[in-house]
Amino acid sequence: MNTDVSKLLHDLKSKCASLKSAAELYKDCSPAERKEMLALMTAAAGEINRTVEALNKAA
Amino acid sequence: MEKLNILVLEDDKLAQKVMTTQLAGHEADVAGDLKTALKKLEAGRYDIGFFDLMLGPGDDYSGLKAIAAAAARGIYCVVVSSSDSDEIIDRAYELGAADFYAKGNEESNVAEILRKYVQRRRAERAGDIFESAFITGDPETRAAAAEALKYAPTALPLLILGPSGTGKTSLARVLHEHSGRDGAFVSINCSAYTDDLLEAELFGYRKGAFTGAADARKGRLLEAHRGTLFLDEIGTMSLNMQMKLLKAIEERTFYPLGSERPEHSDFRIISATLEDPQDLIARGRMRFDLFQRIHGYTITLKPLAQRKGDVFLLAKHFTKDGKRLSFTTEARRRMEEYAWPGNVRELKKFVDLLSSGPGGRIGEAEVKRHLKEGEVMTGRAGGGIYEYALAHGLEAALEKVSGDIIERNLRENGGVRTKTLADLKISTRLLYATLKKRDEAAAGEKE
Repeated sequence: MNTDVSKLLHDLKSKCASLKSAAELYKDCSPAERKEMLALMTAAAGEINRTVEALNKAA
Repeated sequence: MEKLNILVLEDDKLAQKVMTTQLAGHEADVAGDLKTALKKLEAGRYDIGFFDLMLGPGDDYSGLKAIAAAAARGIYCVVVSSSDSDEIIDRAYELGAADFYAKGNEESNVAEILRKYVQRRRAERAGDIFESAFITGDPETRAAAAEALKYAPTALPLLILGPSGTGKTSLARVLHEHSGRDGAFVSINCSAYTDDLLEAELFGYRKGAFTGAADARKGRLLEAHRGTLFLDEIGTMSLNMQMKLLKAIEERTFYPLGSERPEHSDFRIISATLEDPQDLIARGRMRFDLFQRIHGYTITLKPLAQRKGDVFLLAKHFTKDGKRLSFTTEARRRMEEYAWPGNVRELKKFVDLLSSGPGGRIGEAEVKRHLKEGEVMTGRAGGGIYEYALAHGLEAALEKVSGDIIERNLRENGGVRTKTLADLKISTRLLYATLKKRDEAAAGEKE
């Protein structure tokens, strides 16, 4: 596996892990925090999508 | 929990938010890149650092450089990363990381890391443990206890080995006090109960569960919920009870006697025995699976005879709130030569006896009067052996002397037979023949 793919996979794992942790925390957040968390989760989901696309191109 | 100063090195915004939420209640400082992290490390005073390693797409694990800088400042470095190659893990530890966690379980991991850190720091600062709660000046014993204290804040079961009276219960209590567990320290001496009573004590019972159970009673397992269950003399527990206990340890649930409703308890096990567990297993007296469950970390306490310096340290401690004693040189010598077969417990009784006496200056005659002549380590034979030989014959008397020496050495070595074989330069045949006779004699006494 080349270095680029390895780094993309690392990035993907890292972002997915953060999304999972955020989802676990979500229920305990205040309404204001939930709003902020949702915005960050949406952005992270978008980055995950872009990373998967990059992985697809590299494959 | 005390407020900690924490640095988080993390480039991902969502991960930053997750970490700061988890660290609410502490002073958390976030750096999104290496340069900022290094600046903050230079300017600030942090207790812990949480480090991501790959900072942005294409980054070459620059977080590692921050670990080196933080470790050099004595900061407790924890890596939280998705990198899982052995090479990176090795490199992080080499650079000074204390812990390495996979990203994605922050909810449970971060709280656990902070709890352990606080407990460990408390343990490191608690040098006075050895001058108050667990008195010893013996470097080897101090080192062993300090090592055990590192495991106090974990859920790891601990096993304390050592002859009777060496301070196993005191050490277990100290370990509980440094565990960070908010439940009680619940101690039970397994040798003090019959099987039925032990079961009732451990698991509790419902009203009317057996004759005499006029009221329901909570068992020790439930009393130890979120705390520590200290099982002293676990080697004396029957195999049947061991099986029941094993099930309760594995499932953390159990049924009180007469109840059909299971109880749950989150207890941590610390066990102690004066016998060699491997030997108990070999003799079919301890279940191997139970042993596996109770010996996460093992500490062996030396008998008092092997830490002579502690005799006067302990004697001083026992009299600190009452009448102080002074020993003549001869009295001190005799106390140093004495074998203390009952260890610290015997010393405590001895000091209590002297303290209750009329004078505070203790001479050799007084020490001699209270300590058994035959236990002096200089090798003088016990006074009664001649009479024993006359009554039972020379061969029986020699056998008794040999048996007593073997037993004493075994006791002093915490029951480790290989040490006794080496110390006394005897054959395994003689050792096992002596042990067999001892077991038969013990069984005969019980009958």
